[in-house]
Amino acid sequence: MEKRSGLVMGLLVLAFCVALAAPLAADAPKLIIGAIYVGSVNDYGYNRSFHDALLTVQKNIPGVKLLEAENVPESAEAERVMEGMIQQGAKLIFPTSFGHQEPAFNVAKRHPDVYFEHAGGWMMAANFGNYFGNTQAAWYPMGVAAGKMTKTNKLGFVIGVPIGFAVGNVNAFELGARSVNPAAVTTVVVTGGWSDKAKEAAAANALLDQGCDVLAMHVDSPATIVRTAEARGAMSIGFQSIEARALAPKGWITGLGFTWAPYFTEVAKSVIAGTFKPSSTHLGLGEGMVTVAPFGANVPADVRQVVTASADKIAKGFNPFTGPIVDNTGVTQIKAGESWGGDKMGDFKWYVEGVVGKVQ
Amino acid sequence: MPGDRTTAGRRLPPAARAAARYGLITVIVLVVFGAILLAAGKNPLKAYADTFVYALANAYGFSELLVRLTPILLTAVAVAIPARLGLINVGGEGQLYMGAWLATAGALALPHLPAWVLLPVVTLLGFSGGALWAAIPGILRARKLVNETIATLLLNYVAPLIVSFFIFGPWRSPESSAYPQSPAFSDAARLPSFFNTRIHAGLLIAFAALALYWFLMEKTRWGLQMRAIGGNQEASQRLGIPVATWIVVALAIGGGIAGLAGMGEVSGIHGRLRQGLSPGYGFTGFLISWIAGGRPLGILLMAFLFAVITSAGDILQITQGLPYSVINILLALLLFVVLARRPAQRGAR
Amino acid sequence: MNAPLAIGVIAGAVLSGTSLLYATLGETITERSGIVNLGLEGILLIGASVGFASAASSASAYLGVAAAALAGGAANLLFGWLVVSRKANQLASGLAMMFFGIGASALVGGPFVGAVITGLPKWRPSFLAGLRWVKSTTLFNYDILIWLAVPVALLVWWALFRTRWGLGVRAVGESAAAAFASGRNPAMIQYQALFAGGVLGGLAGAHLSLSLTLTWAEGMTAGRGFIAIALVIFSKWHPLRAIAGALVFGGAEALQLQLQARGADVSPFLLDMIPYVLTLLVLLAWGGARRLAAPAGLGRTFYGSE
Repeated sequence: MEKRSGLVMGLLVLAFCVALAAPLAADAPKLIIGAIYVGSVNDYGYNRSFHDALLTVQKNIPGVKLLEAENVPESAEAERVMEGMIQQGAKLIFPTSFGHQEPAFNVAKRHPDVYFEHAGGWMMAANFGNYFGNTQAAWYPMGVAAGKMTKTNKLGFVIGVPIGFAVGNVNAFELGARSVNPAAVTTVVVTGGWSDKAKEAAAANALLDQGCDVLAMHVDSPATIVRTAEARGAMSIGFQSIEARALAPKGWITGLGFTWAPYFTEVAKSVIAGTFKPSSTHLGLGEGMVTVAPFGANVPADVRQVVTASADKIAKGFNPFTGPIVDNTGVTQIKAGESWGGDKMGDFKWYVEGVVGKVQ
Repeated sequence: MPGDRTTAGRRLPPAARAAARYGLITVIVLVVFGAILLAAGKNPLKAYADTFVYALANAYGFSELLVRLTPILLTAVAVAIPARLGLINVGGEGQLYMGAWLATAGALALPHLPAWVLLPVVTLLGFSGGALWAAIPGILRARKLVNETIATLLLNYVAPLIVSFFIFGPWRSPESSAYPQSPAFSDAARLPSFFNTRIHAGLLIAFAALALYWFLMEKTRWGLQMRAIGGNQEASQRLGIPVATWIVVALAIGGGIAGLAGMGEVSGIHGRLRQGLSPGYGFTGFLISWIAGGRPLGILLMAFLFAVITSAGDILQITQGLPYSVINILLALLLFVVLARRPAQRGAR
Repeated sequence: MNAPLAIGVIAGAVLSGTSLLYATLGETITERSGIVNLGLEGILLIGASVGFASAASSASAYLGVAAAALAGGAANLLFGWLVVSRKANQLASGLAMMFFGIGASALVGGPFVGAVITGLPKWRPSFLAGLRWVKSTTLFNYDILIWLAVPVALLVWWALFRTRWGLGVRAVGESAAAAFASGRNPAMIQYQALFAGGVLGGLAGAHLSLSLTLTWAEGMTAGRGFIAIALVIFSKWHPLRAIAGALVFGGAEALQLQLQARGADVSPFLLDMIPYVLTLLVLLAWGGARRLAAPAGLGRTFYGSE
């Protein structure tokens, strides 16, 4: 009995030492970055945009090591994963989903020497900043594109969760569509979650059954909706990552994608230099975080011109949420002379005239 | 008794036997899972070493182990109690959610009460939520209308939808309207936590529940009576024992304990009600209770083992690049080994 | 062109209901032989992931379907080994299979997330193509699994109720001891039923990944396995009633989406509860008669000649 337990103890100690020694034996990287994703990085969408950006950071700054964890739920689990990464030496963590905010903030409190940049939240601390791309105004030129390309004047929009920002995206979309096509109507369907592929397929089919010939979306991955539209001969406008255009060679019009790489590179450099400053950075079209995707092959030249012109207007500061704006029940929500700026983009509780749907 | 292996005169005490049995199971499972890891191109030794270092030999890791232990201990007891009557409660998930829901209702309605009043109220509501949710299948079963296995299973899926309805609707937090969750609980409604970790008083509640379960079942008349009824319901009925009442009460108490797990999650960990509270704690509890044969010590050991295994998933994801879900294979293997090792023996449960 | 609500709901119901129907048919066969598989969700996930992985590696969706069917059958045989040969508790074994399915599907499907596959090809009979309401919807433009769904249900009905084999299955489900006494081999029959059930479960999963969504994501079946278990009860263990049940349950999801697309104020969560609440209500309403409809031996394991 004594001999056996001694042997077991010895083996455990050995394993312990091996595990500790292993990281020391390797080359020390300049910076270890940890990223947690709520889904899979191969989603042609939200998660991919962060993944692609971090790969670019690795190219921009040699010596950066990247730790990634996919399918990290927005719950207490996330804390454990981030702690695990910190134990592996991560000094800069990117929690990429909204629901990772509180877990990340808790971890940040325990590790003042590790820096955090959270996507889409508002919390701040000495080692905790946040950022996101302002997408609402950017959806205006998307609406213009849809308004010009539609033949049935019916546009469909699939939303995952009806948060204010998503509603704002729909509103800008419809405003843009109406600006070139007064008969355009946008129908909204909510799937109830950011990533339920079967529901997204069913939602897309339901909209197409209603006669919509252009589909847009605000869900984590545009892939299912884009492919469903393509299979039924309809057109699509993508979101989250411009790579989704590969999925719809015929029906792709254009889309919006996030370009996080410049901001991420800046932050990583500041961590390496020891000059990290927490901030709440929200940049839109033309400011470096949001970009317009390349046009699909079947988009005619005149439409491209109009859309590009509209996108330029937005990039130069045009605010589509300038009154008077009436909602789809007839109530004036933004009065003449007023306009809603970036700080109010999460406050949308109503859809503009021309949208079929109700904010729950 | 068939199945017992005794050599004349030499029998290990039951605790040592249990430990040896669970130890052997663990070793078999580790070997098989190691083979799967190898097949997937990973290094099993490093994987196990990492798990040891990060989950056990590490203060944070160990504290998280205890955090994981809390809800599954409770849901295991939630299954064990009705099981004494021969009832099958697979509704731990739903009962957990309803406990969380009712606890939230209390916390949101009475935020200004002082902690020494609010916490017991919230705890009681958590218990009640789960108890009521389990009482429904209890009544259905007592009236011989619906089998409780089916009823508890179906209600599992209704409860999270009720929670979602409230989070997206009447209880939608105005401060973070961008995200569906309830407003944050006041500090008075939060279970206290210890040692600057996430271990919260729910762990104490869990241990208390386990101890109470042991005491009631082994040391009181009720426990013996429950076992007798569970052995032969018809005979008990004929003897005048109100079996129907026992059924409802047993399921309600079981459900209440699962409800406490839900309350622990919202009050101790999250501080608010949100979706996705339970990654299958109810089912895990069922399996723990079943493997342990309803025995309290076994429940504690198996729950601990499950907690270690699920902790391994986090580490393996980061260091080995395996999807976290793969840990479910390890859990399943553990279960397969236990399930396969029991041919006709039906002594336990 | 605007399809009326009813047409939209039916179109959606057929799409969502097909995988539900296959899963329900599979579980019906299994339960008719006296075995409950709570891990049906795991079987579906295995079917979906193996099917997608095979289709992605071989560029043939049909190969994916075949692989999914075989994988589902094999998984159910593993379950069978536990509950038939080792006589383990069916509920615990079923839940173990669920965990296994979640993990194994993640392992198998992991390398293929984001792969682009050509899904199952669809056909529409030309004589229907001209109809107004058909043209603009998905009606009658189906892949092979949808076209075969009702024929397979008929086949299952015929097998269970019009063949010797089916008689044997149902006999074992009623009382394995009696079946044994009358010269049957209950274990062999149960294994056969489990394999058939697993094949259908695998097809249910395959339809999700190879036709509906053309993708694989962890946990993508989202509880369909449990809905199918409820559906088996709802349709009184009868394959033909399962068709109606699958349309109703599939229709509930379609209804919710179509109502939204018309601007109606519906809570998706309340509508999602429909399958489960409906099943409970039906169980209540048909009370004692329902219990008689279940195979008497359901859940009990057979102890052989002891």
